[in-house]
Amino acid sequence: MGFRPTIVVFQCQFNLYDDPDRQPAERFGAARVKVIRVPCSGRISPLFLLNAVQDGADGIMVCGCAPRKCHFKEGNFRARRQLEAFRNFLIYLGLEPERIRFVWLDPMESGGLIGALGELSAALRSVGPARRLAPRATAN
Amino acid sequence: MTTDPWLTTLQSKVARLVEDGSVAAVIGFEAGSLALRVRPVMVRRPEAAGKLVQNGFCQNNLAAYLHHRPKGERIGLICRGCESRAVRALVVEQQVSRDELYLIGVPCRGIIDARKIEAEVGQEVLTARESDRKIVVCTRSGEHRFVRRKMLHGACIRCRFPNPVGVDIMMGAPVPETDGPGIFENVRAFEALTAEARHAFFTRETERCIRCYACREACPMCYCSLCFVDGTAPRWIESTVGPAGTQAWHIVRAFHQTGRCVSCGACERACPMGIPMTYLTDQLNRQMEEAYDFVVGQEEGRQPPLAAFSLDDAERFER
Repeated sequence: MGFRPTIVVFQCQFNLYDDPDRQPAERFGAARVKVIRVPCSGRISPLFLLNAVQDGADGIMVCGCAPRKCHFKEGNFRARRQLEAFRNFLIYLGLEPERIRFVWLDPMESGGLIGALGELSAALRSVGPARRLAPRATAN
Repeated sequence: MTTDPWLTTLQSKVARLVEDGSVAAVIGFEAGSLALRVRPVMVRRPEAAGKLVQNGFCQNNLAAYLHHRPKGERIGLICRGCESRAVRALVVEQQVSRDELYLIGVPCRGIIDARKIEAEVGQEVLTARESDRKIVVCTRSGEHRFVRRKMLHGACIRCRFPNPVGVDIMMGAPVPETDGPGIFENVRAFEALTAEARHAFFTRETERCIRCYACREACPMCYCSLCFVDGTAPRWIESTVGPAGTQAWHIVRAFHQTGRCVSCGACERACPMGIPMTYLTDQLNRQMEEAYDFVVGQEEGRQPPLAAFSLDDAERFER
């Protein structure tokens, strides 16, 4: 397979406080992975996702904590409402649904991220490189 | 122009309100110099109340003018359904206090789409008048007649709430409300296209955008003193008219309206390029209606879903 998708992972810092998940993610062979650490999934603005899409990310993964596991009590709930609606909106505008994926992990578990990354990169390989809603990436 | 019988009542009511000082000014519409268009006006003196008009050519959403109101004064606002719901949403967002307002409700038969008429007649419109059923337009070459219902703006054809809510006084009899069989039909039609066609339509339409931000200025819910497109540190999106900037503008402008847009269509009517926009905000509003049973301005005091959260959400989303 020639195509190695570029994946941007927005990840809650409380989700990777023990490093085993983080380092394999950055060395993930099947895809180029960029992990962006955020204080809480509630910090992830829809603009982050849009900028990643426009700059040519083939896939985006949003990692937040499972319900009731949020360090800030409610940040992940806010993130879910907002980002879910934003994802649906981008799909409505023609973006492939495979490109944005949410994973809600239990901070006490490890290894969940790698499994999700594997699924995402497999899905991205079948849809191919991102072209829609990526004007900045195609201009370069 | 046919005059509604309640228009004189409206004018004298406004004159009295301004005269006895219960409000400092009343925001309404007056006839402009162009046919098919009237302009917003602030009535501050009782004698000026006589120039108020209220008809299908009133294109703006007057609630947008509340952001330019003189602070600390009580303001009167003549409002139709969409304007009254915008006021409710603004009260929830603490942009205006309900005590500062005196709302004069008027029934709305829908806003006439000036662009549709101009496209039909293909030349300059000299005069226009409307009745319940018909619109008569005069041009140099003669008279044109249209069925009123067909010439309404898309947002008004789909409108479910033409009657104002929560007003202090109501002028005229309420118009019959339908369940809006056409509600979200623009969204359904767009969804029926393939993903590729949807993307092609969106990029083709946004490419015409000249970034004048008339849509933002016309919108009652766009009141930020610093808009995200005007900020330069960080610069979130390109400020050029290139595809990256225009697409991002239309995506994020619409998304900021999620669960807040009153679907008045003022953005589309304000757009000098005629770019369709309501299919974007309507899709977001439909999401809010389906997921959270939320309709903007329907319940007094209810927060828009994206400003609130609930522990029940845990069950709504998988895992």
